[in-house]
Amino acid sequence: MDVSFQIMNDLSELNTLRVQLQALRSVWLLTPKTVAEINLVLEEIVSNIIEHGDRTKKHPIHITLKKEGLELTMVVIDEGPSFDPTICAPPDTTLPLKKRQSGGLGIHLVRALCQCCSYTRANDSNILTMKRTLPEECR
Amino acid sequence: MTISKGQHATIFTLKGRLDSNTAPQFEKQLQDFLVSPNSHLVFDFDNLEYISSAGLRVILNTAKAYSSGPYHFAACAMQEHVQEVFEISGFDSFITIHRSVDESLSALDKDQESKSEA
Repeated sequence: MDVSFQIMNDLSELNTLRVQLQALRSVWLLTPKTVAEINLVLEEIVSNIIEHGDRTKKHPIHITLKKEGLELTMVVIDEGPSFDPTICAPPDTTLPLKKRQSGGLGIHLVRALCQCCSYTRANDSNILTMKRTLPEECR
Repeated sequence: MTISKGQHATIFTLKGRLDSNTAPQFEKQLQDFLVSPNSHLVFDFDNLEYISSAGLRVILNTAKAYSSGPYHFAACAMQEHVQEVFEISGFDSFITIHRSVDESLSALDKDQESKSEA
């Protein structure tokens, strides 16, 4: 089953994202923890797109979610400047507090919560595909 | 979010969501406590249902602000999702996560006692 929706490159749209995912919760039998994790993955990607892009130019961000059995595929497409989050260097999460920095944590969370992330640039758009295996209770 | 004052600690009760939208406001409310800490600080996460990297950034800055002075920072009562995010980010290695506010407060009191004895 596919679900697609579109938001604009504005942080206030994170509320739209939250509402869309809450609506999926009962349809796809998602646990509150799974909804929070999917929300987190998409928020990190969307906020990266907004922060790396030109905020004065409004452009849509398309989000498609597909659930096949327990495999969830998330595709995020936007027409902002070319940006490949999959090649960002991972932060060292074992560093002591004094040396820790907050940069890169968002992508680190996405990598930890998804089994596979791939990026392509096509038709002047960034296309990011992420896959995650859902827990058994979401079957 | 509400702020209350205990004997040795200030307690921030976090509610709802700490994300890219709400983190800037939270950081503003915290500003005075980060610039000049004057008591221990406890974040009660019991009613926080969601945190993203924008929220983690504020938590990291808070932990840093309390790392060198005489006052300590502690966190408690995290829901499963929030605790998972902390662990993935490695924040549990430098922030003590207690099960309840009472547990945080008694841990901080013990610190206080051992310091006054020293």
